[in-house]
Amino acid sequence: MEGALKLWVVILAVGAINYASRLSFIAFFARRTMPPLLARALRYVPPAMLMALIVPMVIIPAAGIEAINPRIPAAIIAGAVAWRTRSTLKTMFAGMAALWLLQAFLARLG
Amino acid sequence: MRRVFNTPDFRAGFVEMLPACLGLIPFGLVCGVGAAAAGADLLGALGMSAIIFSGAAQILASQLLAAGAPVAVVILTCAVLGLRFLMYSAAMAPVLRTLSVPWQRAVSFLLTDQAFAASIRKFDAHGDPRAGALHFLGGGMALWGSWQIDNVIGFFAGNVIPSAWSLDFTVPLCFIALLAPTLRGVPPIVAAMTAGVAVLALAGLPMRLNLVVAGILGILAGTAAELLRERWKAR
Repeated sequence: MEGALKLWVVILAVGAINYASRLSFIAFFARRTMPPLLARALRYVPPAMLMALIVPMVIIPAAGIEAINPRIPAAIIAGAVAWRTRSTLKTMFAGMAALWLLQAFLARLG
Repeated sequence: MRRVFNTPDFRAGFVEMLPACLGLIPFGLVCGVGAAAAGADLLGALGMSAIIFSGAAQILASQLLAAGAPVAVVILTCAVLGLRFLMYSAAMAPVLRTLSVPWQRAVSFLLTDQAFAASIRKFDAHGDPRAGALHFLGGGMALWGSWQIDNVIGFFAGNVIPSAWSLDFTVPLCFIALLAPTLRGVPPIVAAMTAGVAVLALAGLPMRLNLVVAGILGILAGTAAELLRERWKAR
């Protein structure tokens, strides 16, 4: 298949599948009652999915490159700031500042 | 339309999402770079960012296309990565029940990791689903709009941010800002820890299945912890 056609088949198919996934249960439960146990379980979607997204971004990039991964303590510091402030901006500043300081420190030890 | 854009809830949602839009810039640039590397023209790159509207799926699709993978493989792999949207959809369903079908469709189109996690608590706090939906729509549109700009800049300019600056770290930081406030009480902590361990332990699974499986395991663990604690208290 030609490159541009291939790309557009992927865009339209993945776009349609993503949209169908996003709409799925919103449409399904619009006219039906959700079982109470399922409704309770779904309250754990944010903590579980966010952690599943975060961990590989913090841990895997450094695998095999550096012995000590400064992203882990930086993420923990950012987590503490996020817990106290609930502010995305402050969390980003704290996390980046911590990461840069730790990287500079490790480079000195280097 | 103007009636929607002028509401305080829409505007609040839009403004509150701006810090996250800032944090997602490096991610959007990388997606634009990836589309260019996969041989897409500007329209193709915009098609990916505007229609697929999922950074993880865009990067994966670009990599697979650049490597010459068959179309069916690319589509299937991205579909697996998108399975988490089923969970977001289910979690959003109860708060959107009373809204009209066009509203539900609009919200669905903008349902991303960031928009979902940022807004789900707001819906509970608002009590009024329409106010919650307006808030969500404001944030979702801020994300969608800035995402197109990031992708186009990445497409033309390439990787303008030196990798030594580690600015890709702002993406997990955005998610950490959303995660930390949810960790109040034992069951959510159990859910998060289980998912975090599982996503690493299952990293060998094909097609990034570890993400969605870890999410499901975390949800089950959190629910089990809640039920156990209830039984404990009842005794």
